[in-house]
Amino acid sequence: MLAKISARSGLHVFGYRGYQSIIRGGHVWYQIDISEEKLLSHQEGIDILVALNQDAINNQKSHLRENAVVVYDPTKTNTEILQGRNLRFVKLPMLDIAMKESGNPIMRNVAAIGAVLGLVGIDISIFESAITRMFTKKGEKVVSENIKVGSEGYKNSEVKQMFVIKGDKIHRHVIEGNAALALGAYASGCKLYSAYPMTPASTILHWFAEHEGNGVTYKQVEDEIAAINVTIGAASAGIRAMCGTSGGGFSLMVEGLGLAGMIEAPIVVVLSQRTGPSTGLPTKTEQGDVLFAMHASQGEFPRIVVAPRNIEECFKLSSDAFNLADRYQCPVIILMDLYMSEHSETTDAFNFDSIKIDRGKIAWQANPAERFKRYLYTDDGVSPRSIPGTPGLEFIAGSDEHDEYGDLVSDAFSGIDEYVETRRKMMRKRMNKIETMLKNEDVFHPAITNESAKNFLVTFGSTTGAALEAAQILNSQGMDFGVISFNYLMPLDADKTKKLLEGKSLIDVEVNFTAQLAQIIKSNTGIDIQNRILKYDGEAITAEQIAKEAQKIIQNK
Amino acid sequence: MAEEIKQVQKQNYKSNVKPIWCAGCGDFGVNAAINKALSDLGLQKSNVMIVSGIGCSSAMPHTFSTYGVHSLHGRLIPVATGVKFANSDLTVIGTGGDGDAYGIGLGHMLHAARRNINITYIVMNNEIYGLTTGQASPTSMQGAKTKSTPHGNLEVPENPIALAISAGATYVARAFSGDPMHMAELVKNGIRHNGFSLIDVFSPCVTFNDLNTYDWFRGRVYKLEQSGHDPKNKIAALEKSLEADTSGWEKVPIGLFYEENRPTYEDLDPVLKLGPLINQPSPSKEQLDKIMEEYL
Repeated sequence: MLAKISARSGLHVFGYRGYQSIIRGGHVWYQIDISEEKLLSHQEGIDILVALNQDAINNQKSHLRENAVVVYDPTKTNTEILQGRNLRFVKLPMLDIAMKESGNPIMRNVAAIGAVLGLVGIDISIFESAITRMFTKKGEKVVSENIKVGSEGYKNSEVKQMFVIKGDKIHRHVIEGNAALALGAYASGCKLYSAYPMTPASTILHWFAEHEGNGVTYKQVEDEIAAINVTIGAASAGIRAMCGTSGGGFSLMVEGLGLAGMIEAPIVVVLSQRTGPSTGLPTKTEQGDVLFAMHASQGEFPRIVVAPRNIEECFKLSSDAFNLADRYQCPVIILMDLYMSEHSETTDAFNFDSIKIDRGKIAWQANPAERFKRYLYTDDGVSPRSIPGTPGLEFIAGSDEHDEYGDLVSDAFSGIDEYVETRRKMMRKRMNKIETMLKNEDVFHPAITNESAKNFLVTFGSTTGAALEAAQILNSQGMDFGVISFNYLMPLDADKTKKLLEGKSLIDVEVNFTAQLAQIIKSNTGIDIQNRILKYDGEAITAEQIAKEAQKIIQNK
Repeated sequence: MAEEIKQVQKQNYKSNVKPIWCAGCGDFGVNAAINKALSDLGLQKSNVMIVSGIGCSSAMPHTFSTYGVHSLHGRLIPVATGVKFANSDLTVIGTGGDGDAYGIGLGHMLHAARRNINITYIVMNNEIYGLTTGQASPTSMQGAKTKSTPHGNLEVPENPIALAISAGATYVARAFSGDPMHMAELVKNGIRHNGFSLIDVFSPCVTFNDLNTYDWFRGRVYKLEQSGHDPKNKIAALEKSLEADTSGWEKVPIGLFYEENRPTYEDLDPVLKLGPLINQPSPSKEQLDKIMEEYL
C-alpha cells in the first residue's frame, strides 16, 4: 500500500520482503526504499522503522541508520534497547487508533502508513485517492475505515516531514517480479500455466488463478513431474504453455525437460531459485542453480536459459521466451530467484503493443502424395511442426530416437548401419538449432555500461541492479567502474562475449558459492575471473556490500 | 485368436510401422481392439491423439496413423492431460503397461481419476516387466518367480480396479486379450464415455511370464455382463473389484465394473468449458490494460 501510494505520487519504489518459513507469525518485515530516482536494488540500512511488535525493534536495531526514525506503539513495544543512540522516535498508538476508528486491530498498519506519509511529506490526498482505488471493490465501509485510520495516523505522527522527497507527479506502476513475468506470458499467448506450489514460484500460480479467463487457464497438479509433462502435452497439442517451480521441483522436472528437447516441444519453464541445497533456506534467495538449469537431463539437446535483470525484463524476457521456444522448438528456462520473484519495483506501464507473436515454422497443408515428415532434416535444424487436429499431417512424437517421420530407430533398429546414420543426422539436425539461434538472435551476449571504465563488475540476472548501483557508489568515490551483465546465459555467443571481456579488469559478483557465471565465462571464452565477490548466506547482496568488497579488491591489487 | 483379430480390422487406422511385440503377445489383441473401436466410432484420424509411456505396450501409438506422443515411463497421463487441456476436441487415448500405470505412474493415474478428465486409459497389464526382460511388476502375483524375485515375489499384487473406482474414475473396466471383440466394445464405450476411463487389459507376456498365460486366464475369467452385475452400483463394483483377490484368483471378473455420469474437469473449469483452449482468443489489449491498471 505504501509502495503504491509512493508510486502514485511520482516516486520510485523498490520493495523486498523478509519472512520465515512458518505458517503464521515469525519475524516478518517488508523493506521499502523510496526515492526520487529509479531504484535498481534494495538498499542497506533503515531510515524509518515501523515497529509493529517488539521483534521488529530487537531484530532490526543493527540496521538503523544514524538519525533514523523509529515509529512505535507505546502500548505494544518499548524502545529501551535503543536508548543512547542517535535516533528519533515517533510514539504512535497504532492499535488504539485502529480500534477506535475501525474496531479491527489489523488496521494498525494503516495508521502506520499514514504516519510514514507524514514523515516523508506525501500529501494525504494521494493516500485517500489510492485507498479509494484499491478498496472500492471491497465496499465503501472498507474504504472509509482505511481512510479514517490512515488520516489519524498521519495527524498523530508527532514530527512532520523528517525526510522530504518530492515525486514528479507521474503515476507509476508497482509490480512484483513474478507478476511481471506472469503478465509477460499472459500477454504473449500463454494459455496454460501448470505448477505445484513451491516458494518462491507459488505467486505465479496465484497470479494465474487470479487472472484466469480471457482464454487463459492454469492447473495446480499433483507434482512437478506432472506440471512439466502437462505443459509438454499442451505444447504438443499446439498452445503456448508454461510451468514454474523452484530448485526442488525443477529436480523433478528434469526428465520432462529432456522429453521436450527430444520431441522438440516448445515449452517455457520458470525456475525461481532459493537457497539450496535440498530444502535449504526456503524463504531466502540464491543464484545457485545456473549450471543445473543449463545441464539438467540426460543427453544433449538445445535449450535457452535466460535470467531477467530487472522488472522490465521479467516482463520482456518472459514474453520473448515464447517466441524463442516456438522458433527453435526447444525448452526455454527463465531463471528467476527469490529476490527477483518477490521484489516489487516501479515501472512504466508495460508496452503490450510491442509484443509480436511468432509461432515459428508450422505446417498446415498436407501433401497427399507423401507422409508428413515432422522431423524433416533442415539446415537450420528446425522442422515445420503440425498441430494435432490438422488432417493429413499426423505423426507420432517419440522420446526414443526417431527418423524424419518420427518412427523409432531404437530397440530393434539400433546398431544397424542405416539407423546409425539416422541417429547421427537427427542429432545434428537438433543440435544445429544452437548455431541457428546464435546467428539469428542478437541476444546471447552480455551488456556493458561505462565501456571505457578501468574496472568492471561482471554479473547476471537479479544481481545486476545492485552491481549497477555499486558502480555508481564506487565512481562517486573517485574510482572508475562499469558493469558487464548477462541476461542470456545459454547458449552464449562466445566470440562476442570474449571481445567484451578481454583485456579488462574484472570482478565477478554472484549470489552463490562456486561462481557459476565465472565458470560459464571460462568455459566459453577461456577468461578466468579470479576476483570474486560471492554471497551465499541467503540474503540478497546490496550495492553497498559490492562496493565495499570491490574497493578492497582494487586496493589489494 | 488370429481369426478374431482379422475380423475386427475393418477400417484401418493403422500405420505401416511393424509392432515390436513377440509373436503371440497380448498387445496385438489390444491393437486390434483399438482399431475396431476407432473404426466403429468413425473418428477422424487427425482428431485422435494416442499418448503412451515407455515399455513394450507403449509402442502402441506408432502402430497407428493418428497423432500421438510416445512419452516417458509413467508420464503418459500428465502428457495426455496437457493435450486434453489444450484441445478438448481431440479424442485422447492413453496406452501403456502395468509398470507405467501402477508402478512409476500410479500417482498420476489416481489424480486423473479424481480429476475425471475425459481420457481413455488402456493399460496392458501383463504382470511383468517385459521390455527390461522380466522383472516383477506391481501386479505380479505373490510368490511369482521373476529375474528380480528369484525366490518368489514377496508383495501382493496391486488392485488397479479397486484403486480407480475409489479414486473417482467414472468408467472402470477390465478386458482380456484373448477376447478382442469383448475388449473392443469396452474400449469403444470407454472412448464414448465422457470422463476418465480406465480399461485394464490382461495382456499376456508370452516371453517372460509363464504364470499368467492365456490358458491361465481362460480358466479363470468370466464376464460381468453375464452375471447380473449393475455397473451403476459403486458398492457392488467395489465388491466385484475384490473378487479376484478374495477368490485366490480362481474367479476373475472382466467387463464393465463401474460407470458414473459426473461432470468432467473440462465441464467444470470456467475457461475450458467455453470450448477448446486452442480456439479461444488470447487476451485483448483492453483486457491487458485493465490488468496493468491493478498495479497503479
